Amino acid sequence: MSGAFFELSGETGRLRLLLADTWKSRSLLWMLARKDFFVRYRRASLGVFWAAGLPLLQLIVLAVVFSRVVRIHSQVNYVTLVFAGLVPWTFFSTALASASTAIVDGADLSTKVYFPRAVLPLVSVGSAAYGLGINVVLLVAVAAFEGVPIRASFLLLVPAAALVGLLTAAFALVLSALHVYFRDVRYVVQAAMAVWFYATPVFYPFRLAQSHGLAGLLSVNPMAGVVQVFRAAVTGTDGALGLPLWWTGGWIAALFLAAALLYRRYDRVFVDLL
Amino acid sequence: MSTEGAAMRLVGVGKRYVKYEDAPMLVTRLAGLRTRTRRSSLWAIRNVDFELQRGDVLGVIGRNGSGKSTLLRMLAGVTAPTEGTVMVRGRVAPLISVGVGFHPELTGRENVYVNGTILGLSRQEVDRRFDEVVDFAEIPAFIDTPVKFYSSGMFVRLGFAVAVLAEPDVLLVDEVLAVGDIAFQLKCYDRMQQIRDRGTTIVVVSHNLNAVRLLCPRVMVVHDGAVRFDGAAEEALALYHDLLGPQPDEAATIDEERAAEVEEFLLLGADGSDSSTFSSGEEVRIRLSVRFLEPVNGVVFGISLVSEEGVPVYSDSTNWEGTGTFSTGQRAVFEAGFRLSVPTGSYTVGVGLRRADRPVSLARTPRPRMIYVAGRHTVNGAADLGARFRVADHAGPDEAV
Repeated sequence: MSGAFFELSGETGRLRLLLADTWKSRSLLWMLARKDFFVRYRRASLGVFWAAGLPLLQLIVLAVVFSRVVRIHSQVNYVTLVFAGLVPWTFFSTALASASTAIVDGADLSTKVYFPRAVLPLVSVGSAAYGLGINVVLLVAVAAFEGVPIRASFLLLVPAAALVGLLTAAFALVLSALHVYFRDVRYVVQAAMAVWFYATPVFYPFRLAQSHGLAGLLSVNPMAGVVQVFRAAVTGTDGALGLPLWWTGGWIAALFLAAALLYRRYDRVFVDLL
Repeated sequence: MSTEGAAMRLVGVGKRYVKYEDAPMLVTRLAGLRTRTRRSSLWAIRNVDFELQRGDVLGVIGRNGSGKSTLLRMLAGVTAPTEGTVMVRGRVAPLISVGVGFHPELTGRENVYVNGTILGLSRQEVDRRFDEVVDFAEIPAFIDTPVKFYSSGMFVRLGFAVAVLAEPDVLLVDEVLAVGDIAFQLKCYDRMQQIRDRGTTIVVVSHNLNAVRLLCPRVMVVHDGAVRFDGAAEEALALYHDLLGPQPDEAATIDEERAAEVEEFLLLGADGSDSSTFSSGEEVRIRLSVRFLEPVNGVVFGISLVSEEGVPVYSDSTNWEGTGTFSTGQRAVFEAGFRLSVPTGSYTVGVGLRRADRPVSLARTPRPRMIYVAGRHTVNGAADLGARFRVADHAGPDEAV
């Protein structure tokens, strides 16, 4: 007999327990994430290629439209600049699209077997992380192809990926919890993503927004900070971060804590509404 | 926190559900207009106290909506009680509609790993048990086939195999044994007995009273959100049966007329009084008191005995020419006596009166009555044919070489 046991009383759990439980389920989390990622491409004859192919296609469209048609100017290589924004953005939006409905979609499982429900939205984040991994490698390849020198600053991609992961996890927890109560959340997410894409410097340089007096707006957008870290990693324009790293990191950590606290309030009673 | 070795302990457990009269709207909630949403709350189950030791087997029976699923969910740790404390020691493996968490696109092998991990096993533990799981499920040839191509039987077998081979400390079984063929069901019973002997605590929730009787010495009856009884299986089953009460009217299959009126429908046991619990082999007398509202020439009196699963066990009637001639206002008592040679279970006894000359029911057919028969423990099947066993004294083979 294993030493594990559980004791349940009251409908609101403690944050520490929630985090500890979720941490203990990390092998389950990765197993489900891997399953989710590979099952998605299993029936497609091109398989996992799609995970890399779609963002590349989007990159080509954006690069052509905004460098040839709209003519956005930047001091650094524009294709690399766009891709450095597109990689975290693709991760963020695909993860949230499935994470926001994860608890409801996983009702079949979670109403029957106990495991920390937080695993479900986090599985969506983990599954998207496989795509992120592929795209980060692709980003380095695109940078090299465009003649951007590969420097030590590329190591910044690791904390950058961790930051976007934490930020996405925070939103995933809150949105999946809200979606249990309000089934319109998935549409709100779709709508918000469409707007948010433009509010994030994905296809324009941060300076461009600054010069239009939109820096204040961008500084509260945590995705803007994340994109800037990705850019600093590949283009190495150190001073051009626009947002200090401590600001982005602190903001994301605060969001995550708030998300976990909010999520905790409902974790134990979701099942009653599924 | 934990107490002297109990595998499971519930103290004053209750669960209240809040029901929203209309779906909450994001916009109105955000605008602080929550008063518009009417809510009502309902205690699904309340005041549950019990304790199980390692190796105990508890059956839980109750009608739909009695609160037993809520109880099971709390035992699984899936939802938290509104009041009281649920303490469960060890790893819980639920067996609630088997194959939960199976992904149709994944192969049997991959699903065993995913499901094993969900049940709390490490990869190495699944590795170690893998062959045994496949063996038990009897699907070695299909283990690398996506489970969407599995037959429902294969699906169930694999799900059960994973759950029992996870060697949980607590196994929760909900209605699963109704599926699968008899041979596999028996194998499951054996397996459950084995893991119980190894110290696994088992809770079985089922409508299948036979399965409950077979597996559980202790049975809890849940009714209207409260535990009505917790004790010996036979007593529990008899009580459950009483609580089932009147069954809804069954649709009449033949035309009815009002040529007569049934005044009384009694089932008399050996002691001559009306009863709804009998023991196997006991003589039951069906007595139907009827008043005729118009003259009738020739009445056919029929009876039926139907098992809980809806299987007609026995039906019979007076001959087709009918019995007797009755005038307006006359009263008559129709009786049929037979021996209840059936195994333990719930049955319904139905009666009918019809005209001999055409297929028309004479009177409004009374509701079939539910009875519970306590049978001999060794008997299974549809009928108790009363075998006599004998072990002959055998001198040994004469033709021994």
